[in-house]
This record gives sequence, C-alpha cells and structure tokens, in this order.
Amino acid sequence: MKKLMAYMLTPVLAFGVLSACGPKDTSGGSNNQGKAEGKPDKLVVWEDTDKSVGLEPAAKSFEKKYGIKIQFKEMPMLDQQDKLRLDGPTHKGADVITTPHDRVGPLATEGLIAPLNVSDDITSQYTDSSISALTFKGKLYGLPKSTETPVFIYNKKYMKQAPATFDDVYTFSKGGKGGAPYGFLANWTDFYFAHGILSGFGGYVFKDNNGTLDTKNLGLTNNGSLEGADYISKWYKEGLFPKGIIGKKAGQTIDGLFNEKKVASVMNGPWSFQGYKDAGIDIGVAPMPKLPNGEYVKTFIGVKGWNVSAYSEHKKWAQKFVEWITNEENAKIRYEKTQEIPPIKALMKDPIIADNEAAKAVALQSERGVPMPNVPEMAEVWVPAGNALQLAATGKQDSKKALEDASKTIEQNIKAKHTDK
Amino acid sequence: MEALAYQSNHRKTAALLSIIPGIGQLYNKQRIKGAIFLILAASYFIVFGNLLNMGLWGFFTLGTELPRDHSIILLVQGVIAFIVIGFGIVFYVFNIYDAFQNGKKRDQGFAVTSIKEQYQNVIDKGFPYLLAGPGFFILIFVVVFPILFMVFLSFTNYDLYHSPPARLVDWVGIQNFTEMFTMDIWRNTFVSVFAWTIIWTFTATTLQVAAGIFLAVIINQKDLKFKGIIRTLLILPWAVPAFVSILVFSGMFNDSFGAINNDILAAFGIDPIPWLTDPQWTKVAIIFIQTWLGFPFIMAMTTGVLQSIPEELYEAATVDGATVWDKFKSITLPMILAATAPIIITQYTFNFNNFNVIYLFNEGGPAVAGQSAGGTDILISWIYNLTMTSAQYSKAAAVTVLLSVVIVTVALINFKRTKAFKEEGM
Repeated sequence: MKKLMAYMLTPVLAFGVLSACGPKDTSGGSNNQGKAEGKPDKLVVWEDTDKSVGLEPAAKSFEKKYGIKIQFKEMPMLDQQDKLRLDGPTHKGADVITTPHDRVGPLATEGLIAPLNVSDDITSQYTDSSISALTFKGKLYGLPKSTETPVFIYNKKYMKQAPATFDDVYTFSKGGKGGAPYGFLANWTDFYFAHGILSGFGGYVFKDNNGTLDTKNLGLTNNGSLEGADYISKWYKEGLFPKGIIGKKAGQTIDGLFNEKKVASVMNGPWSFQGYKDAGIDIGVAPMPKLPNGEYVKTFIGVKGWNVSAYSEHKKWAQKFVEWITNEENAKIRYEKTQEIPPIKALMKDPIIADNEAAKAVALQSERGVPMPNVPEMAEVWVPAGNALQLAATGKQDSKKALEDASKTIEQNIKAKHTDK
Repeated sequence: MEALAYQSNHRKTAALLSIIPGIGQLYNKQRIKGAIFLILAASYFIVFGNLLNMGLWGFFTLGTELPRDHSIILLVQGVIAFIVIGFGIVFYVFNIYDAFQNGKKRDQGFAVTSIKEQYQNVIDKGFPYLLAGPGFFILIFVVVFPILFMVFLSFTNYDLYHSPPARLVDWVGIQNFTEMFTMDIWRNTFVSVFAWTIIWTFTATTLQVAAGIFLAVIINQKDLKFKGIIRTLLILPWAVPAFVSILVFSGMFNDSFGAINNDILAAFGIDPIPWLTDPQWTKVAIIFIQTWLGFPFIMAMTTGVLQSIPEELYEAATVDGATVWDKFKSITLPMILAATAPIIITQYTFNFNNFNVIYLFNEGGPAVAGQSAGGTDILISWIYNLTMTSAQYSKAAAVTVLLSVVIVTVALINFKRTKAFKEEGM
C-alpha cells in the first residue's frame, strides 16, 4: 500500500513543480498607459435608473461630433460599483459610471475609478464645494452631475411662508402649529440630517486642512457639536418631536406623517419632493432657517459625479465624454429633463433655476452646506454618531457622554479597519 | 498466505504500469478501456493544464504584479484548480485500483471482464451512482466551491485597503481570528452579539415550538367544533409572506404611532412601552414576532404526527387510570418529539441565522452605548454590516467561519442523537 501512496503522490508533486511557473507574460502592465490611445468605436456608459432621458441628447451630439458610439445602460448607482468590480477585470464593464461623491474615496482606494486630468478652465465652471467633493487625496476623480442637500419643506395649508429662524420654528411648534398636529419634524437621530445642526453650531466630523480631511482629528466632541446635540435633544425632550421618530425607521415615519397632512414642515432632500406632491400636498421649499446662534444650518451636500473606470481602455475619450456631458449646455438640458440641479455656477444664476422656488432653495442651501466627507473612514461615523444622538434624544445618556463614547468607538473602528498597512 | 495461491504477478505489474493511466489496463488486455483511460488522462492535462498551472500559482502567491494579477480572480481559479485536481486524483486512484483488481483476477486464473460485461456491471450495480452523479457534480460547484472560497478568504487580508485592482491581497494566516479575540473593539462587539444570538435562538425557537405543539394538541381534541376554521385561522401567519408581516409589525410597534401602544395597550390603561428605542423591549417584541411567524409550521407538522398516534395507546392509558396530563407527557409528547426532532433542530439553526426578522424589524437597533453593533444585532446581521458598510470582507469571512463552526457542531451532535436519523435502515 505504501507503494500505492507513493504512486498517488507523484502527480501531486508534478503539479507542485508546474506551479512554480505561473503566468508566462511578465512583460509588465498589460495596460496601454503611456501609449497613444486609438479612437474607440464606442464607449459604454452606466447611468442611474430613470435618468437616461437627460443623457440622450448629449450622447447624440457627442456621437455626431466625434463619431464614437455611446452605449448607455440604466442601473441603480450603488449597483454600478458591484458590477464594475466583477465586469471590470474581464473588460466587459463600463467606461464611464456615475456615483454619489461619498463613494469616491473608497472607490479610488480600491482602484476602481481613475483620476482625471482636467484643465482649470473646465473645473472652474463648477462650484468649489462640488469639485472638492469629488477630489480625494489631492486628485480629481470625476466631474459633477448634480447636487442635492436637505432643505426646509412646508405644507402651505399650515404655513404661509417659511420662517427665517429656528426660533420662529420653535415658537410655531410650541404654539398653534397652524392647525397641524406637529409643527416641524426632522430625522435628527440620523447623522446625515443632524450634521447640519452640529456643524452650524461649530462642530465638524473630520478637520478640514485646506481640502484634505484629517481623519485623526474628530470634531464630534468639541463645544459646537455638544451645543448642537443639546439643541437637538431639546426638541425631543420637550415633546415637540415624538418618540416615534427616533431610530432607523424615523425617515419613513416622518414621510408618512407629512403625507397624511399631520405635519406643517419637515427637513428633507429634493428626492422627496415628488412623493409629497403625489400625496396631494401643496409644498413650499426654502433653505433651512437660521440657527439660534445666527449661523446657517450647514447641511451635508451630496454631489453625484461622472467617473471614469480604471479598467477602461479608452480613458482619454471617456474623460472627454464626461467633460462633454457636464458642460453648461448639456447640464442645462439634463436639468430640464431630470430636475436634478447641476452645480454649475452660471446655471445657478440662470432663470431656469433662479425662478424655480424648489431648485433655488436647494441651490442656495448647497452653497451654505459642506460636502459629505468622501474618505473611506466616513463609513465608521454614521452608525455610532447616529446612535449617540439617539441615546441623547431618548435621555439614556447626556449628549456629552454619548458623543464622547461615539467618538471613541469611531476612533477605534478607524484604527481597526482603516489602517493602511 | 493467500498470495501463494497466485500463479503469476500480474496485479502488481498492472498497478505499477497504471502510473500512466490506461497502460495497466492495456497490459491486462482490456484494450478499449485502456485506450479510453489513456485518452482521458491525456485530455485532462491538455484541457486543464493551463488552469492548474495558473490556479496553483495564483493560489499560493495571490498575484505578484499589478495591474496584471487580480488576487481574487486568482484565488477563485486556485479553488477551481483544487477541485479539478480532486477529480483527477479520484480518477487516478480508481485507475490503479482497477488495474490491480483485474491483474488479481488474472493471477487467480479468471478471465478479465469484457467491455460488454463491464457495461452491464455499471448499469446493474452502479445505477444509483450513475443517477446521482450529475447532481453530485453540480453540488460540488454550487455548494463546496463557495464554502471553500469563503474559508480561504478568512485567511487573507481582503478589505478596502487590500483590494484589487489597486492592491494585491495577501495570505495572513489566522490573524483575522486572533484579532477577533485580542482587539478590544472586535472582542466587545463579538461577545455581546454572540451572547444575544444564543439567547435569541433558544427563546424564540423554543417558544415557537411550544406554541405550535400546544395549539396542535388543542385543535386535535375530538370534541372540538369548527376545527377547519380554527386551523385555517392559525395557519394564516404562515400564509402571509414573512417580510410583509415583519414590516407591518415594525409599524405597529412604533413607540408613538403604533397600534400596539395607542390602541391595544391604551385600551387596558397601560402606559406606552418603548418598543423600538429600548433594547430589552425590542428583544421582547422580536421574540414575540418570531413566535407568531414560526408556530404555524410546527403546528401543521405536529397535527400530521398526531393523526398517526394509534388510538389504542390512549385507550390503554385510560384503562390504567392516566390523567390527561399523563397521557400528554408519556404518549403525545414523546411521539411528537421522536418524529419531528430533526425539523425542530433545523428550526433552531434557522433562527440562529434569521436575518429577516432582525433586519426588517429594526435593522438591528436600537443603539447601545459603547459597541458598534446594535442592541438586537445577531451574528449574521453584524456580518452583513461588516461587509456592506466597511468592506471588511476577510473579517466577515472569519466571523462566518466561526458561526458555521457553532452551527455545524450543534447540528451534528443533535442529528447523531436523534432517532429519526439513526433508524435509516428501517
């Protein structure tokens, strides 16, 4: 039997020898970097669902001008990354994808999207915040397609016009509420919405050192953040916000209440406009009111951008296409078709935005907000920070202790999961 | 010795010659078989040679050069290469064994079987294997392959910062497992999540099983009227898709707007209970919901078992003067448990990994101070968060391995002790 064993092992050993070989072409980088790129026949573009109506005219004019066919496909934005991860290596992926800017850091770290080399006179068309949102570690990874940020939405039945300050909102909620059961509701145990308040009082997430975020310098425990958290808890503790809008289901609950005409005003983003209108509510939209300390609410800005896949074999042309669809003319067409606001300075002043109440409110609020941090470390902030606000709102911990604990958890998590060894 | 009876030494020669598959068979004068084996072996190397070469190289190195090598694709190829080698070894061993056996026949003076007889033999004796073969083959790729991939992944450092195409992935040994117990942030969360997972599994499952058996026995009473209607009503929770029920419950349990606090509890004059904001109450609510969702299945199954308990047993018990409780304890319950134990065990393992209820009800919340997982997060929903929010693929794989170890151990011990699996030969 020993002999048999030996016979059986022979082929295994033979494989072992073979395995020392590996791939034969060690000719270094199969990418055609540095070489002159030929003009491709077509570029594949992935666009968000239901949004390609805004892309079609620009794609047609691009085809006409350069003779490159544009093949576009609709796919939910977050699915695009997963798809690119799988399709990229086999060269079946897109050349151009679209992502929310807070994914830029993780995607660039993973190497799925390529940095762009765009001249200053192109980048200067866009608002500074939208360009910095798409910049990671000093490199620009995309051009902005649209911008969004939470604004103040009110039911005109209960509120004639938007209040100028939060003190007014507070008195309104304490008082008659214009006849509605609730005067104002906001999902302030979700850090996305709460950040505007914290940072309006002087708090921050990561210290911004001239455009690069210092992830070791957390600002959640500074005086501004504490003041903001206290202000948030005040709304819950005085019963102006019911307990039922605490936690992860709060957003849906608030939407439901607003649609049932039980709330006079809410804080929510442009994505909610259509739903509210469909529910038959005559909504008014305004920038967020001023905080009691006289500062604006510094809401998180989200920028959706066009990015070039790192797997693309025609990066130069892909970038050219990105520049083409985000230029003023095409951005205007896209805005008319999709109602998503492009962060282009000239268009912000254009009557099509300036005369539209909702668009104007979003554009104005965008100027006052700060871009969501796009560093991968941000993933560790959402849950602990939201939890801290929850614990403070329910009175289980005072806001100082809650934020200090959260800050510690975030630091530990960043150390555990984001050390670039 | 028996070997003395042999008149020649064909068996050893044949086995030795079979180092090259087919030659031994040719030596045994089984020409067609030998040729088939030879061709099979040759084509194996021609077809899979490149895959084996790349796969094994890729598996051991996980790539050496960017952007040519994609570690994860190489790992996948490596796992496939191992499976292909497995098939090769099985074929190879069979080939030597076959040559040896036929050589032995010649040594003993028997004629070797002809190709026709061989065919008959396969059809007669190997029929079940022939039928199960294709299914088994597919099973290896859809079940074994992903498990192997996941296990290997837990020994790498695959996360956001070691992720192709920007970086290569490396083997790191058991680092993921040791960190789970040595780093504070991982240990604290792991221990508390694990503890709740165990409590959740036992309470929720035991309650749903108990409720199911209890109701089945009740509606099986002979003198009960409207059995059909009652049974239909009780089966309803099973008929509605679970995720719909859970979402509806999530709304009903809302602290300020839910029907439970506002209508039901208020009617009895009970103060609102913080169902979604207090971890203890959320746990109670989730266990209640799982009981509600899970009992109809157990009830339906138990009803079936109850029909098959012979009436004589109860009659005999009545003659002996047994009370209703005695009958239940000594006849009904043992009969039910003996017949349904394997399914009840699978209910436990199902709840151990019951992602739906946890995630849909409150997404693992509410918040608990000092840990990153929520108050009702069980291992599987925590793994989901690890993968989806922080791209900690290798860590998530490591937790999954630990979780599987628990499940497999529990399942094995229980299955071994269960009568229903022992009496296979009956």
